[in-house]
Formats: sequence, C-alpha cells, structure tokens
Amino acid sequence: MEELNLFEKLTRVKAPPDFEHKVMAQLSLRRERKFRARRGLRFSFAAAAAFFLLAFVMTNVIFVPKKGQVDFATLEKTVPSSVARAKSQAIAPSSEFIPITEAVDYSHEVRSLSPEPQTIYILEQVSDTTNAGIKY
Amino acid sequence: MDEQELIRLVQEGDEAAFAKIVNIYKDKIVNYLYQFTRDYQKAVELSQETFLRVYFKAHKYRPFASLSSWIYAIASNLAKTELKKMRKISVVSLDNVPLQLKLETACNDCQDSGLVKNLRKALSSLHPRYRIPVILKDMEGFSQEEIAEILKRPVGTVKARISRGRSYLRKELEKALSAKNSL
Repeated sequence: MEELNLFEKLTRVKAPPDFEHKVMAQLSLRRERKFRARRGLRFSFAAAAAFFLLAFVMTNVIFVPKKGQVDFATLEKTVPSSVARAKSQAIAPSSEFIPITEAVDYSHEVRSLSPEPQTIYILEQVSDTTNAGIKY
Repeated sequence: MDEQELIRLVQEGDEAAFAKIVNIYKDKIVNYLYQFTRDYQKAVELSQETFLRVYFKAHKYRPFASLSSWIYAIASNLAKTELKKMRKISVVSLDNVPLQLKLETACNDCQDSGLVKNLRKALSSLHPRYRIPVILKDMEGFSQEEIAEILKRPVGTVKARISRGRSYLRKELEKALSAKNSL
C-alpha cells in the first residue's frame, strides 16, 4: 500500500487568511439579493393578480351586453297591443324568467302514520257478475 | 459548544455560529476541493459556495448524519458539477496561460517528489466516481460508512470503488516506475 503512504505526502493547502471575511461578505450580499428577489416576486404576483382582476372587470363592463328592464306598461303605450304581445312573447321565454318560491306546509295535508302494525288487504272480486270495468 | 448545537443555531440564523463552523472546516474543505480541481482559486471559490449553501440550506440538515459528512456531501456535489463544467471547457495550453496566473496559485507542486507527482497525475486521470471515495478515505480519513453517507451510496459500493480506485493508482504508479527504469 505504498500509494496510501504517498497520500500523506501530497501537498495540502489551506484557506486564505481572509476566507472567513469573504464568506461573511458574500453571505450578506446573497441574503440581500434573496430578499430583493422575494420582494420582486411578491410584487409581480400582486401586479399579475391586479391585472387579471382589471381585465375581468373591463371585459364584463365593455364586452358583455347589458340587459335592460322590460317595462310592459310603457311598451304597450308606445307600440300597438298585438305587436307588444308578440314582442313580449318573444322576450319572455327564458331571459325574463322570474323564479317564485312558495313555501308550502304539507304537514297537515298528509295523514300521519298509524302506530298499528301494517295490514295487508287482499282485494278479491266477490260478485258473480263479470267485471265490467270502472267507468269514470 | 458541539457541532450539533452550532448547526442548530445556524438554523435559527445565528451568524456567529456560522462563522465558527466556517473556521472549523475551511482548511479541510479548501484542501478537499483543491484535490479535485487542482486550481487553488477555484477551490477557494467552491469552498465559499459550499459554506454559503451550508448557511442557506441549514434547515434541511437532519442530525442523523454528522455535520462533517453533510458539509463534505455539499462540497462533493459542487466538485462533481465543477468537474463536468471543466470537461466541457476547451483545453488551453499552459504556454498560453499568463505567468501572473501561474504565480498566483498557492500550491507549490515543485516540492513534490517524482513519485508524488506521478500519484497526483494518476489521481487526476482517475474518474471522479473513484477519485472522490479514494480522497475521502485516504486523504480526509473518513470511514467507509461515513463515505457511504456522504455519497449516498451503499457501503458495498463505496468499498468496491475505493478498491478499484486504489488498484488503478497502483497500476499507474507501476507503469510510471517501469517507464523510469527503462530510461
């Protein structure tokens, strides 16, 4: 293992005397750069978000057509009744649909379940006459 | 204050603790990286980068491994990347290098004997895969388990690489010796 002993003879170098100072100087520089980069990233994210929000609002305001209120009273006044009816029929279908929700309490309408055990009724025809069907 | 305590303080952003770690390891890391690059300035630059990474990646350190293994692992990765870069760069003849640059290198190779020069040459031609474990074992004095930890390889692989690296060096030295005898 001659080469192993030779390793000990290989020239060993040491760090320069100002090594620590250089590292510490680099450290503060790098930290400052990181801080700046992080701040820049934050600003760019905020700017991008603001831009998209603005673009969304502008698109809604400018490009999407506004739906005005339909006043049938005034419509009937200005336009002949037949035309107004035709127009109202044309407008009404889906665009001017107003949902109405009515609360209905069915608790008194439906008979409550009886506590008795369930009974099965078997219905049989008992009369001799033939079934003529039910007439309504 | 032990090393685990120091790195814990670094994790909290303590610069004084970081300076202590730098002070403990600076010579070892510079020397270790010098054995790869054979360029003192480059070794110092890489060592600085190693310590900066130690500071900024301190939160990733887990106390399963020793601090020295972790720092050497960072240095090894940097050295490997640097070697890859150096391979890509075109080779410039030494005659074209300004004299000033030659004088600035801190290593004094002329102190090496012929055999040591041959060893250095053989070491430079050894593939980094084998060179790193050989240097860690024979120059830095790490155990095979520690090297396995640094390189994140199984101990068996490390053993094999050290063995192959040594046998390659032995062959190269024998070759150089026989060439010298034939003259």
